[in-house]
Amino acid sequence: MKERAEGRINIDIKWLLTGIIVVFLLVFQVFPMLYLLFKAFFPDGHFSLEGISRIYSYPLNWLCIKNTLVTATLSMIFGVCIAVPLAWLVGRTNLYAKSFFRTLFLTTYMVPPYVGAMAWLRLLNPKAGTLNIFIRDLFGLKSPPFNIYSIGGLVWVLTSFYYPYAFIIISRAMEHMDPSLEETSRVSGASPVKTLFTVTIPMMLPSIAASAMLVFVAAASCYGIPSIIGAPGKIYTLTTRIVDYVYVGSAQGLSDAVSLAVFLMLLSLALMYIADMVGGKKDYITVSGKSVRPGIVDLGRWRIPITVLVGLFSVIVVVIPFCSVFAASFTLNMGKSVFAPGNFTTKYWKILISRRSIISSGMHSLLAAVLAATLGMIICLVMAYLMKRTKVRGRSIPDFLIALGSGMPSVAIALSLIMTMSGRFGINIYNTLSIMVIAYMIKYMMMGMRAVVAAFSQVSTDLEESACSCGAGWFRRVSDILIPLIAPSVAAGWFLMFMPCFYELTMSNLLYSDRTKTIGVELYLYQTYHSQQTASALAGVILIVVILLNLIVKRLFEGKF
Amino acid sequence: MASVKIEHVTKSFGDNIILKDFSAEFEDGQFATLLGPSGCGKTTMLRMIAGFEKPDEGEISIGGRKVNGKDVFVPPENRGLGMVFQSYAVWPHMTVFDNVAYPLKLKKMPKEEIRQRVMEILEIVHMDQYEKRRPSELSGGQQQRIALGRALAAQPGVMLLDEPLSNLDARLREDMRFEIKDIQQRFRMTVVYVTHDQSEAMTMSDIIYVINNGEIEQSGRPVDIYRKPREGFVRDFIGGVDLLSGEAEGGRIRLKGTDQGFICDENIHGSVEVAIRPDDIYIISPEGRFLSSKQ
Repeated sequence: MKERAEGRINIDIKWLLTGIIVVFLLVFQVFPMLYLLFKAFFPDGHFSLEGISRIYSYPLNWLCIKNTLVTATLSMIFGVCIAVPLAWLVGRTNLYAKSFFRTLFLTTYMVPPYVGAMAWLRLLNPKAGTLNIFIRDLFGLKSPPFNIYSIGGLVWVLTSFYYPYAFIIISRAMEHMDPSLEETSRVSGASPVKTLFTVTIPMMLPSIAASAMLVFVAAASCYGIPSIIGAPGKIYTLTTRIVDYVYVGSAQGLSDAVSLAVFLMLLSLALMYIADMVGGKKDYITVSGKSVRPGIVDLGRWRIPITVLVGLFSVIVVVIPFCSVFAASFTLNMGKSVFAPGNFTTKYWKILISRRSIISSGMHSLLAAVLAATLGMIICLVMAYLMKRTKVRGRSIPDFLIALGSGMPSVAIALSLIMTMSGRFGINIYNTLSIMVIAYMIKYMMMGMRAVVAAFSQVSTDLEESACSCGAGWFRRVSDILIPLIAPSVAAGWFLMFMPCFYELTMSNLLYSDRTKTIGVELYLYQTYHSQQTASALAGVILIVVILLNLIVKRLFEGKF
Repeated sequence: MASVKIEHVTKSFGDNIILKDFSAEFEDGQFATLLGPSGCGKTTMLRMIAGFEKPDEGEISIGGRKVNGKDVFVPPENRGLGMVFQSYAVWPHMTVFDNVAYPLKLKKMPKEEIRQRVMEILEIVHMDQYEKRRPSELSGGQQQRIALGRALAAQPGVMLLDEPLSNLDARLREDMRFEIKDIQQRFRMTVVYVTHDQSEAMTMSDIIYVINNGEIEQSGRPVDIYRKPREGFVRDFIGGVDLLSGEAEGGRIRLKGTDQGFICDENIHGSVEVAIRPDDIYIISPEGRFLSSKQ
């Protein structure tokens, strides 16, 4: 009798928890998203395609769509072309310093893209860019060779920040591939190169295609880079145009913002859905036998030249921009080098710790990110437990919603929250920190969810069942077996959510008020209107935080804590 | 067809010594099995014959051609081998036909000939109705047949099989034993077969090498290994055994606590262990009727 009663209560609690989480997601994610869709097709309560037709009939809108599609497509092509050879070299050959390169590429993945935009702005400024002048003098050119304020410049920065997305997916697929598939090809008489092109790459195609779409979506929904580089160059993209419309705030502007956001959202979600279908295709996941060490290709006499080439790439794409950010933060007069006499200053770092508005922005970001990561992790834990350890009906719905949220462009999330959470439907959290916390959660909960679900999958239920047979009850099993085993992943997942929330720019830029400025907004305002050096110092702080937290995450996943 | 000669091969991964001074010679047309528990080094040996690992010391020759040795390394694709993996390793992005045709295409065989040869092979492995299928539509056993066909396609001098049957279910495993043996005899191929399953080794092999801790414990015909194990490890690994203690004297062993005994070598004296294969024990009723019989 007692057991039956317990069982019933358990199920009720599970239902209750799932229910609360589903309601939360429905109210703050699904409803705003649907409202956005509704507003796009029913602008004033009646069905009308006028809003949609303005997308292409109004030249300003059409131009920004064209810019977005062109830059995202080019970034996708270049990103994949960089990522495939890099993933192969790092994962499957005897390249020197492989693990160093891997860490380097993975770290760029976590760095806020606007930091790169700031750096490249200075490096390739058409008149005074440091790198531009250096190249001009090196080759004796008449004028600096590059102009960052162009479509090409935008593509360059987007590519250098989004190729790691493709790198991560492709190298994971390469390392999980059953090496005997390639070995059979070798035994059949194919050379390593022939094997690469007839077996390895064809087998990678689904992952390559999926990663290409993710790069496209990331580049198309990016706001930080086009807002910092595009705006001065008068190159508008979907995201920057949407934000401008929201700032203008007129009815026509808002309606255009909605149409553009819906266009971007549907495009992103469709591509993410296709990528998920293609990338997750079961045919291509093979059960690996016992030889799980992937075969390592000997680069032979090319080993040193190729290592040098990869090193050069890292210096250009990672080291130079990061260093330039730090250099700028110590430069008094931006017209001269930081090494010029009397031009070195710590003034801007002192501003960071003395100006009240910067400190309070930092506190806001810290608070919002801690809240979003903690609440998000609680949701992830409950959902992962229900998904992996119970058979509650509908247990995978929240997981789907979480994936959906992460696939929505940030501008669309922010816009949908603005339109629904400012009192029109009985909830008014506009201009508060809560609206930002919710936006962050919707966008980044996926990061934590993946980490926790993976951890649950790795802990075999046998381990809990054997504790059960020793007489441990549900609570003891969870606290003695499950929690200790998944704790590192939970901590890692928390940091993975915390980081992007901490330096978030796009959504914060639409949702902040004077009392809830965040560090990303502060940096953006300094970069655009006040002092690039102060912005650089802030970016320096963010870089240091990201690099440190990344090291912690890496160690957590390797089980070193 | 070709023989395989392994001379004084040593291999370690870091501090972990996998194979110590390993020498063996697999004759042309022989079905040779490397048998041992997991981690004994048998798969590593096979992968060195294939060319996926390089020995630290020692030499390997295939068909009289040195493929591993001082300053000699022939890459896997130039060794003229066929190989079947435990995980089947059938390429999921190619059809059944393309999988089997792959080694022939690499040999730049004319299209018509490839078609003919592939269909022949598919018939041999009983997969001729499946040529257009994708591997994902096939069962494990069918995939393994494709892997076998692909390894056969180029008529290799030596076939290497790395626990090809361990992912299959018990019934299929027995059927496949006979099919593999049949194919080997039909093509008079040299086969090097790696397994930890003693009954697989016993039923298929011409010669068995029992390997433990990177060393050959004993090699010989299956029946010799079974009947005349030289050591405890081989005796226990190759099949069930009952151990009884006894006292040896003057060419006779008396089992402890009984008056039963056996004849033995006259040079054996003192306490001994007597190992009896269970299938050598018969139960006879006092009237002399067999209550159990050898199957």
